[in-house]
Amino acid sequence: MTLSKLVIKNITRRRGRFVFTLLGITIGIASFVTFLSMGGSLKSEINRESAALGANLVVTPMGACAYEQVSILTGELLPPNITMEDVAKIKGIKGLTSIAVLTQKSAINNKPVSINGINSAEMKPFKGWEMDKGAYLSGEDDASAVVGFAAADQFKLQPGSTIVVRGERLQVKGVLKETGSKDDVTVFVPMQLAQRLYKTGDKVSYVAVKVDNLALTDQYIQTIKETVNLGVVSDKQMLKSVLSIVGTVNITLQMIAAVSVLAAAFGIINTMMTATYERKREIGILQALGAKQRTIFTIFLLESGFYGVIGGITGVVVGLLVSTVAAPYISQNAFTSFVKGSGGTLIDPVTVVGSILFSAVVAIVAGVYPAWRAARLSPVEAISYE
Amino acid sequence: MSEAIIRTTDLAKSYLSGDVTTHALRGVDLEIQKGSFTCIIGPSGHGKSTLMHLVGGLDRPTQGSVVLDGTDISRLDNSQLAKLRGDKIGFVFQFFNLLQGLTARENVEVAMMLAGVPEKEQASGALKLLDMVGLAEKADSKPSQMSGGQQQRVAIARALANDPAILLMDEPTGNLDSAAEAEVMEILRKLHKEGKTVVLVTHNNEIAKQAEHVICVKDGRISS
Repeated sequence: MTLSKLVIKNITRRRGRFVFTLLGITIGIASFVTFLSMGGSLKSEINRESAALGANLVVTPMGACAYEQVSILTGELLPPNITMEDVAKIKGIKGLTSIAVLTQKSAINNKPVSINGINSAEMKPFKGWEMDKGAYLSGEDDASAVVGFAAADQFKLQPGSTIVVRGERLQVKGVLKETGSKDDVTVFVPMQLAQRLYKTGDKVSYVAVKVDNLALTDQYIQTIKETVNLGVVSDKQMLKSVLSIVGTVNITLQMIAAVSVLAAAFGIINTMMTATYERKREIGILQALGAKQRTIFTIFLLESGFYGVIGGITGVVVGLLVSTVAAPYISQNAFTSFVKGSGGTLIDPVTVVGSILFSAVVAIVAGVYPAWRAARLSPVEAISYE
Repeated sequence: MSEAIIRTTDLAKSYLSGDVTTHALRGVDLEIQKGSFTCIIGPSGHGKSTLMHLVGGLDRPTQGSVVLDGTDISRLDNSQLAKLRGDKIGFVFQFFNLLQGLTARENVEVAMMLAGVPEKEQASGALKLLDMVGLAEKADSKPSQMSGGQQQRVAIARALANDPAILLMDEPTGNLDSAAEAEVMEILRKLHKEGKTVVLVTHNNEIAKQAEHVICVKDGRISS
């Protein structure tokens, strides 16, 4: 017999209570892991996206807040005042390359997909795209589409397939190579075609700008602002705004998860307190057999910690399963659709180990008071307990 | 001349319950010799169990001292007292007090673990002790699967797990029928013959007659 074997025998003796207490901590940790891993995958997707955006500056309406900027990028919102005239003015500024994008939403087989109107000739070198299959758009008059790699895979599209956008049948001309960004899940059509289909007139969603000399970025922001009456944000600022929104959502979710872990901790305290009352006589027997207060304390603390470790492991497994299943649905909202919609869950070793440790620590802390109560019982009092 | 393994001097214990002080023991001087078989007898509620608890280091006296095998245990702290119980004393109680979730063998093994016996040696040691009390075949039974007499024999095997200098027993046959009582007493006689010091608390005169020495406790004092 060893202390750990005794602990396992004690804890599994009352199976019902063991299972229900374990469920409490499992649910707590599972929700914690779910939110954490989804938040984590969201953040890493955003970081990856920003690297693939290919722009240093983004021109949006003056004074647009972070939420509006995200909404513009995702196609939720079409700014009323960025016109092709503005685009032409920006293009006139020397030392930068700019490209206008009209982002709209559509659906293929009832699944949402992003449609981007672009200047096809300028966009390809701007993004550094390569073709996976088929050919690229031949020009502004080419009334066909090029689809991202993941979209082609998801909707089984290949050169020659047709898609219906706003009631108009478009032929898929080519499939882009995988970029790892939102471009993978986007359908690209010529700007004029997009403007006609969505009846936006000559409006565009935003203008992406690449600066030749990064050191002069601030100066260019000023120049653009003076040339067109619009707002300019750097991609870093934009990323920061998005991350802050995602961060707020994350913190809220994690706080909810923390509350459930806290509730589970009280479940453990309750179980362990009940155990100290029920096993008062047993504690007395162990004391009579020579168990020191420290030993009794250790036994009860280990029992509590055992709940934490087992609950942590099952919680992490359940949490990762839930987040994998739920992630594709969650990725359909305004914030998260900005990032690549494939909805992959991040199984981060730090999250896994950290959550199990967190669970163990919470359980051990929860066990301190009941263990202390058990250890300070006097042998005679405990052994005479009926 | 044999030496005293237990010596108490002016040993007193009182309990305060609300405003009422109950004097369980009122100045007890006694000596128990090494290797003896002693019965402490007396009516219920007259301080026999309290005396056993004090002698065994389960409780602390209000006054006086207990010297056990050369150590004044009234001066020990909780941890030292626990160590002393684990090293020198084997307890047997009226209600057996086995750990219900464990088998007979595991009950003995827990006592061995607390006495510091390495895990590898526990199983064989426990089986040997259970064999000694005639219960080797019940080694894997839980207390609920055994009769009262069998449980008490397991409790005796457990009390011997640390090879104690002294066996302290509080009404060990109080809950047994006469056949089981005879079995337990037979084991105690055997242990005594092998040189163990046995101290048995009882209110049963028939049991007391089987002991070498009888100490009578009445109203918290030794009476002859």
